[in-house]
This record gives sequence, structure tokens and C-alpha cells, in this order.
Amino acid sequence: MMLRRKFLSIAGAIAGIFLAPPLTAAELLSPADAANWLQKISDASRRMAYEGVFVVQHGSAMQTLSVTNRPTGSTKDSHLSALDGNQREIRCTQSGSLLRVTEGGQVKTEKRLNNRHFPDLLPPNAAALANWYSVKLGEWARIAGLECRQVEIVPKDAYRWGYVICADKDSSLPLKAVMINEAGTPLMQYAFAEIRIGGSPKAETQTSLDTWRMPAQAATTRPIGTETISVSHLPPGFSRVAAVRRTLPNPSGGLRKPGEVEHWVFSDGLTYISLFLEPATHPISSVRGQSKQGMINMVTRQVGPMQATILGDAPWATIEAVATGLETRSDSPDLRGAAK
Amino acid sequence: MKHIETTRQTMPTTQAQPAHEDMLALNLSALIDGELPDNLANQTLKRIGNDAVAQAHIADFLTIGDAMRGLSTPPGDFTDRVMLALKNEPVILAPMHKASNRRPVLWLAAAAMTAITWGLWQSSPNHDVNVPLAALKPADTQSAQRNTDSLPYLAAHQDFTQAVVSAPEMHFSNASLEIRQ
Repeated sequence: MMLRRKFLSIAGAIAGIFLAPPLTAAELLSPADAANWLQKISDASRRMAYEGVFVVQHGSAMQTLSVTNRPTGSTKDSHLSALDGNQREIRCTQSGSLLRVTEGGQVKTEKRLNNRHFPDLLPPNAAALANWYSVKLGEWARIAGLECRQVEIVPKDAYRWGYVICADKDSSLPLKAVMINEAGTPLMQYAFAEIRIGGSPKAETQTSLDTWRMPAQAATTRPIGTETISVSHLPPGFSRVAAVRRTLPNPSGGLRKPGEVEHWVFSDGLTYISLFLEPATHPISSVRGQSKQGMINMVTRQVGPMQATILGDAPWATIEAVATGLETRSDSPDLRGAAK
Repeated sequence: MKHIETTRQTMPTTQAQPAHEDMLALNLSALIDGELPDNLANQTLKRIGNDAVAQAHIADFLTIGDAMRGLSTPPGDFTDRVMLALKNEPVILAPMHKASNRRPVLWLAAAAMTAITWGLWQSSPNHDVNVPLAALKPADTQSAQRNTDSLPYLAAHQDFTQAVVSAPEMHFSNASLEIRQ
């Protein structure tokens, strides 16, 4: 019975995703008001206690996840669990973020470099986004039985995509988020099917917490050493937010040999671009990739002795700008060695 | 299908009969240019549906035409193929015979064939553009390989997306990047 109710409410939410009325006559906010709204939404997703089930839809793929969030001071302790397909769980705490995948009876735990997930999409310092995005207040809507206000986050240039967030009337917690491209076409959508805001989400048992202990050998990142590549220019508002050496996951179980790469991340706070650097084993021609739904763009090119792979949930212009801005450092030890 | 001014005789009578495949290429080229008599056009259209050689020829002609119009990036062996096509193109210094009684259905059939061929191209992974249809099979394998190769990067990038979702299927094409030095 419980399952049936859950299924019906999820089906309702899915219908809501597709039947949502088009936005009309949205009110453009001043930069100050825009910053306030963005900060309010960002704070709510981290500081509120909530638990619920949400649906993710991108292209023809759909996934249902449960989420629980307990605020812990300025950060959060959240737990996501995929309800369909392979068992995938993510746990984000003050000390980091872990992904646990159960497949074929085996449990694999990996450390994630970031703890961003719906409904916590905006960065802690969300007000700064107002430099690169306009904010418009749209119509009222109803998601998971709660009233919410549509907030359009509209990019000011061609280097990022926009979002339409439906923020809960009382708490400002995002109940729905839609990532849209420059043509206004939805690329990815999230919507709560059921949610309980406030109160005390059910605490996990000690046994459950113990299963999240990270195996010592699973620490797969370390700081990068001497940099051989630099970026001469980035799209406006983007800066490097991470740079580590890591072993790439091999989800396909393919032929790729495990090897370390440098993983750099550039972001404006909402859009994230990854750059992977590794020694080029053979001459590389520039290859461009795009996901079926156009959500992810990717390019591979050779920069000096390195192969650079740039990808992100961003327009091609952003990926191309990062790719063309890469150059070999003149003081690179590799080049000095080659000159001898 | 050249944009160089030449005249073409589709049914030569005074010349020695061209080889079988040359005649096929001639007919296909004339079909694309709308210069094939109706009865021959119908035969040629039927043949395209069943003949891999004819499909490869028509793919080549469309590729060359597109490349000359600057619509796409030519593949590596493009120059060789254009030179070969030019060499094989008969140049006859005589007024070109124009079919006077063309029926609209021929134009529709030719347009439909072109559209189908173009559609097949577009529905294949982008990096196969400019590759003859007959060569699509191995290219699909390459595409699958590239998809597999990209999965670790996509999985690593998911740390920074909102994703708990699996990596999407990717399509690949050659990229042209203007690098500022």
C-alpha cells in the first residue's frame, strides 16, 4: 500500500514535470534582489531539515531517488539513494562525500570531490551568481503538494545555461529545478514527488553509518605537482575551483588501463567544467563530443606533450573557450627536458 | 556533381561504351543533377536501393558537392577522391542533351533519394559525415569505442554535477579549434 502511494505520488510528479505551464510575464529583479533570492534558495537547501523522494529526468532517462538532509551548522549531512536501477548511494558530510555502488553482489565505495546534488544546486555564496545571471520571478506553481514560486536564473551571456527553480513558498527550498539551454529547451529536470520539510529526519543506525567507512586504499586523489599546462583565458566569471591528481573511475569495465590524470575544475558557481590532463601516448586530433540530449559537451585535443579532455554541462562555447585557452607553460620541466 | 563547367552526355553513341561501373557513376551523377531521362532515372533509383556500389558512389558525389559548397569538413583522403572523380569525368565538347519532357515525379524521386541519403548520414554519428555509406560499419565501431573511452571522464566529472544518473551516450565528430598563440 505504501509502495503504491509512493508510486502514485511519483507518477503525479512526473506528470507535473511535463504538464508544467509555460512561464509568462516573469518579473526581472534588480541585482540586489536577485542576489537575495539566490542566497535564500542556497541557504534553504543546506540549512533546512528535509526528507523526500525526487525524480530526475534527462532526455528519455528517468531516475527516482530518496534524499534526507540534516543540517549541521553551516554544512549538511545528506544521504541520497537511487530507488531504481543499480543501488547507488551518496553520503555527504562535513568530512567529504562518498559514493557507494552495489553491483553484482559487490560493494564499491568511491570518494567524490564534491557534494553537490539536488536540491542543493546553488553554491554557498550564491549572491555572486547575480554577476553572471539575471533573476526573474515567475508564476506560482504546486509541486509535491506544496506551493512554490518559479525563479528563472537566466545567463547574461552564451557561456552558461539557465535554470528555472520552483522555490517553496515558506522555506525557499527548491522543489523543482529545470536546466534549460539557450533555446529554452529543458535539458535536465528534478522535481520532488513527496517531501517533508522540517522536523527531525529519521537518524541512521550506527550499523548503517559503519558501512560508510572509507577503505584506506580508496583515497584516490592527491595534490597536483608542477603544472605543465596553463590556461591563458577562461570564460567570464569562471575560475579554477579544484586541481587534483586522481585515478579515473572505470565504470564500463573497459580496456582503459588505470592511470593517474590531473583533474582541474573550473566553475562560475553554477556551471562546472572539468579538464583532464594526461600524457599523450600518440598524436591526438581534436575530437568533439556531445551527449544525445545536448546536455554535455566535450572536446579532446593535444597541448604540447599532454592530452587534454575538457567536458561539462555547458554550452559548446564554454568548452571551446577553455580548450583554446590551454597552452604549454614555457617554464614547464617537460619542455626544459625536451630542449636539452 | 562538379561545379566546374563541363558538358555531359548521358548516353554516348559515338564513343566507345564506358565500362559498366563508369556508366553507373555517370548515371548517378546525372541523376543528382536532374539530367537523367525518366526511364533511366527510375532504373537507377531502383538500383541505389539494392546496390552497395551505387550507394557508395552517390555518397561520394554528395560528399564532394557538400565539400565544394563548404558545408562540411572533408575527410583526409578528400583531395585524392576529388582528383580521381575529375579524372573519370568525361568531358565532351558538344552541346549537352537536355531531357525536354521531365515529369515532376522524377524530381520528387531524386529529391526523396537525396533526402534519404542525407537523413542516413545525419542519423549516423557525426564523425561519419563525408564517409561513404558502405564504410559506415567500421566507423560505428569507432564511435562505440570513443563512447567507452569517454566514460571514465564522464564518471569523474559527475563529482561536480548534480548527478546520480548514469553517463549519457555521446556522439563524436572531428573538431576544428582556432588556437590563439
